[in-house]
Amino acid sequence: MRSFRTLAIAVAMLTALAACSTGGGSKPEIRVGSDGFYESKLVAEMFAQVLEADGYKVTRNLGIGARQVRQPALEQGQIDISPEYVGSGLGYYDATKTTSDGEANRTALAEALKAKAISVFGISPGEDTNAGVVRADTAAEFGLSKMSDLAAVQDKLKWALTPDCDANPLCKDALETYGITYPPASAERLAACDAPIAEALKSGGVDFAWLCSTQPAIAQFGFVALEDDKDTQPAENMTALVRDDLLAKVGDKAAFQERLDAVLELLTTETLTELGVKVAVDQEDVADVAKAFLTAKGLLK
Amino acid sequence: MIDWGWVVGHLDDIAFLLLQHLVLVAVPLAAGLAASLALAVAAIRHPVIYGPVTALTGILYTIPSLAAFALLVPLFSFSWLTAFIPLTTYTLLILFRNIVAGLEGVPSDVLEAADAMGYRGRQRLWRVELPLAIPLTMAGVRLAAVTLIGLATVVSILGSSFGGLGLLITEGLQTFFPTKYLLGGLLSIALALVVDWLLVRTERQLTPWARATSGRAAGA
Amino acid sequence: MNELIGWLTDPASWQGDSGIPFRLLEHVAIAAVSILAATLIALPVGLWIGHTGRGAGVAINISNIGRALPSYAVIVIILPISLAISPDYGLDLIPTFVAMVILAIPPILINAFAGLQAVDRDLLEAGRGMGLTESQVLRDLELPLAAPVIIGGFRTATLNVIATATIGAVVGFGGLGAFILGGRAKGIAGLGELIGGALLVTILAISVDLVLAWLQRRAARRADRSMGPARDFRDLSEIPVPQFIP
Repeated sequence: MRSFRTLAIAVAMLTALAACSTGGGSKPEIRVGSDGFYESKLVAEMFAQVLEADGYKVTRNLGIGARQVRQPALEQGQIDISPEYVGSGLGYYDATKTTSDGEANRTALAEALKAKAISVFGISPGEDTNAGVVRADTAAEFGLSKMSDLAAVQDKLKWALTPDCDANPLCKDALETYGITYPPASAERLAACDAPIAEALKSGGVDFAWLCSTQPAIAQFGFVALEDDKDTQPAENMTALVRDDLLAKVGDKAAFQERLDAVLELLTTETLTELGVKVAVDQEDVADVAKAFLTAKGLLK
Repeated sequence: MIDWGWVVGHLDDIAFLLLQHLVLVAVPLAAGLAASLALAVAAIRHPVIYGPVTALTGILYTIPSLAAFALLVPLFSFSWLTAFIPLTTYTLLILFRNIVAGLEGVPSDVLEAADAMGYRGRQRLWRVELPLAIPLTMAGVRLAAVTLIGLATVVSILGSSFGGLGLLITEGLQTFFPTKYLLGGLLSIALALVVDWLLVRTERQLTPWARATSGRAAGA
Repeated sequence: MNELIGWLTDPASWQGDSGIPFRLLEHVAIAAVSILAATLIALPVGLWIGHTGRGAGVAINISNIGRALPSYAVIVIILPISLAISPDYGLDLIPTFVAMVILAIPPILINAFAGLQAVDRDLLEAGRGMGLTESQVLRDLELPLAAPVIIGGFRTATLNVIATATIGAVVGFGGLGAFILGGRAKGIAGLGELIGGALLVTILAISVDLVLAWLQRRAARRADRSMGPARDFRDLSEIPVPQFIP
């Protein structure tokens, strides 16, 4: 028992030592966080890898949770950088300002985050919007092609909502705009944009699910993404949120932003979908996919 | 269901997660043992604290770990404190009660003999009472260790920063990759069984005088 | 604290199948059914092994193995099988139920065995000498004396199941765990729900434990009264051998 304890104490000390030694560099340590679903983890991993290539020490905390959890973590300084979708990100702070123009959303988000000392970098060309999705057979049975068609048959459907839906205007308010009584009578709570909610839809456990438009499951399982005819979903280009106190410690802010913007510029909708297939369908490691992609595009040597 | 090619290709990652898991278990266990020893010795000297300590550690024990981890994040961010504090408090009830029972179970004639031989308070504690309390203490350590192995799988729900086998499970569930979550589950179970067996052996090694007795069910 | 009060006083928190009454009921139901199933499996076996003394090694081993299984791991391992059997209930209900039964069996089994084993053999021989049948010996002599320890096993099982059933929420099972996960998912807005869920679990677990502790003390007094102090209960009945709680 005594030797066991000594071993344990030794391990603890080693861990503490390892954590303390940041190496004598002048570059600050960066903590990169992400949401729980694969796409957010992938883009965060890309940020982490380019920063590491530049000599920063990066700690990753991927998969913290949905925006409701990740954003407070960023605001409170538990993480320094996170990927973001400009439409939903803006909606988290002020749902009235969201538009279908990515650049406008980005500017408005930057405004909203100024008071929180968080900067918003450039936007990606591609988008990943929230998509209201049903199975092909459901669409055929009830003649569904747009979101407005749902109101008439809402009681016949089992709904899958995200856990943060009550507090998310792009979820709750959007449904109400389409005439859905909230909360629907039969509603499951499943995390957004990942396999369980797609599986539940596929297996018939639910009939309507909020998925992500670049999610491979939609094409894979022949789902029908309903048209957002009342324009409830804003433009969702991706960006990077970076804490100002980290930027203050960085030598050349412009170069730092350029680096992350270079990653964002590569993210077209097709690219996001393709990479999504690698991670979510082929089950390749997020780190490997990120590395291969960045190397192929010349951002990593 | 398990893609063994994936497993073979990721052996180093899996080994690292296993190591992280062991640290997540070993450090709280050591801390919990130290704290419980101190509390138990105090409880033997001042029996009045036994009730309150049991009640307090019992309440801490029923707080679901998910909630405990989540509530500590605003306080300690995603540092190791957030994981270690609840993990340590979960061991307290088990270890405290077992050590106290072990110390109380020392026969009074042994204590008298020790006193007659000239052992003073602390000497008697360290050289007579605690060694005799080892069986029940080890039973507690065994239980606490196995409990921690299970608890440490849950912390991964907060994100990837703590690592451990639970990360395999959580990531596997997010992308429905059975290889990952099944492997995470099986490894957690295997680890618990191996650690349990090792600690049984350790207990037997440490108590050579008990080997003659067999079939002890109490505290097992 | 304010958030907690806010959540508790919000009428919406008490309605529907995400409301407190429903989720509390779900939680109690899964705990009760799991413990019942575990009892049906473990108690007869434990009593038989304790009474006859045969198969003790096997019982102890099974109990050790069962006790070591982390519930989160059990749930995910059952998933593929239970999903294949029942797409509707195989995701959340069946895995949680199975994990809880596995969690509850070891303490019930071991304490039934230990309780009976600790009864003074001479007393039983005397009983047999007086003409009592084996089942009478079990029922009238052993069980009353072993009752406090057996109830202790139930205390442990119940405590563990009530607290561990929260993990089912990760695969979609409701119960009080859903408040913890759901509250967490809502970030700051869900703080009251998160704390409330944890608090409800603790209160439920402690309340049930107090009732069982009272039953245990009653059984101990009855045993003492009718048989005289057959043995010292303290070391067995007061250590409920607590187990994994996620």
